[in-house]
Amino acid sequence: MNWIGLSTLIKREVGRFFSVYRQTVLPGLISSGLYIVIFGFTLEQRISEIQGIPYTLFILPGLIMMNTLTNASANTSSSMLQMKLLQQLPDLLTAPLSGLEISLAYIIGGTVRGFVNGILVLMLGIILTDLTVVDPFGTVVFIFIVSWAFASMGLILGQMTESWDQLAMMQNFFLTPLSFLGGIFYSIKMLPEWAQSLSFINPIYYMINGIRYTILGVSDSSVSVSFWMALILTVVFTSIAILLMQSGKKIKQ
Amino acid sequence: MQTPAIQIKGLTKSYGDVHALQGVDMIIREGEFFGLLGPNGAGKTTTINIVTGLVFRDKGSTKVFGKDTVKDFRFTRSKIGIAAQELSVDWFFPIEKLLYFQAGYYGLTQTEAKPKIDDLLDRLGLSGKRTSRLRQLSGGMKRRFQIAKALVHDPDIIILDEPTAGVDVELRHDLWQYLRDLHALGKTILLTTHYIEEAEFLCENVAIINNGKILKEGSPIELTRELGTAGISVQLGHGEYDFDSVLKDFSYTQNENKLHFSVKDPDSAMPKIIRQLSKADVHIQSIESKVSSLEDVFLNLTGKGINE
Repeated sequence: MNWIGLSTLIKREVGRFFSVYRQTVLPGLISSGLYIVIFGFTLEQRISEIQGIPYTLFILPGLIMMNTLTNASANTSSSMLQMKLLQQLPDLLTAPLSGLEISLAYIIGGTVRGFVNGILVLMLGIILTDLTVVDPFGTVVFIFIVSWAFASMGLILGQMTESWDQLAMMQNFFLTPLSFLGGIFYSIKMLPEWAQSLSFINPIYYMINGIRYTILGVSDSSVSVSFWMALILTVVFTSIAILLMQSGKKIKQ
Repeated sequence: MQTPAIQIKGLTKSYGDVHALQGVDMIIREGEFFGLLGPNGAGKTTTINIVTGLVFRDKGSTKVFGKDTVKDFRFTRSKIGIAAQELSVDWFFPIEKLLYFQAGYYGLTQTEAKPKIDDLLDRLGLSGKRTSRLRQLSGGMKRRFQIAKALVHDPDIIILDEPTAGVDVELRHDLWQYLRDLHALGKTILLTTHYIEEAEFLCENVAIINNGKILKEGSPIELTRELGTAGISVQLGHGEYDFDSVLKDFSYTQNENKLHFSVKDPDSAMPKIIRQLSKADVHIQSIESKVSSLEDVFLNLTGKGINE
């Protein structure tokens, strides 16, 4: 292992998003704050409680999860695509770095961004509402696993796509709908039966419910199923991202 | 025999129907200044991109100090520093930071890299710009940064892909001098270029590549001797002259009042020609010599100029 090379690339990836925190950290906080204030506080007057939880608190885990996974995947996908388009990738591909090292560095960079964003929205929720987290350790673990899984997924997208247009299409037509349909703003028990069945094949549904359980103590699915689904997804996405990088098929000629 | 710095055997590469390389063989000895000379699209960049790991090879072998560039990529890549033709862009970090990253990829800690980076920034006239972003640099400075990046891990082999493309004459000569200094330190240098004078001025050996094939290899002097066409043209004053007898040892053609001599070495032939013509009382109006160059060699080999 080229440990110095690996840690250098991690520093670069983390430094990259921190250097533009106005684009990578603040927007998630602002939009989550707006969701809490507008959706939460206004709709709470009409939707009193879901599963015994006030509506504002009910949507908070979903907002944390949405912020975590969008930021984690955006970091790796945009950084990889940018490296390709701006001729920076040859610097990595001609260096004594393996596909595994490059992949891990990118995934860790994306995980840090997803994790930081997730934790910040959690803290914002604690400040804006009277939230008490039921299982803080479990919450942190869930945010970490989801960050890693979606950083890996972003790395796959970054390698596969050739333009910003393609990348935006994947995010807007795939990731955002899955997040919203995963039950951020509602319990799937509020849906008709056929729509409930569809939710069971949406991996983000399990992640939102997993973190909802660790934060609020309630969820639509069992916490162990959510945990294992998140873990399986993490392993699958990570393996594909690394194998694709090692093959070099999408980044070399 | 000493292990070559770079050894390429039977290298082929196709992009769809385009055969970019059609069996390239090349040996670059350690400490050699080697030029890969050819027009745009000849296969120069593909060749070096395969050696550095940016492009997959179809067939053949590429070795650096005897080790395969795919199987032993960590070893071979650590030995090479490459200044690519395409200038990269980075929006996020100052150039000094980018050099620290580059050194880190090659396993150097910040402490190990610092003296080298300070020296390179100083030597390449970039010290005053260390906190600038790449977009704030001029074209020439970007080119120098590209070279600094290639040298930051002190590689044994330096590969420069068209290093002076698009730079002004003054900077070109500065870079040439710098490359000569590096060569004097014992570095092996592989330069790709389509500037004839660059290859002639810098390289000990050149390979001429066209359509993915190496056409000829040797030192610029050997190649021009073998395939060059140096000559001396003499414009005669008006009059009737009989010079056949005095010029019987020379190969020449006559076109009205102009004589063209084919010679290998114009410098030594010119006084002899003048002496012989004077013996025949010939009035010489003007005389000019044309020194043979790699351009002639290229023309002879391919039937067209390098920039056509």
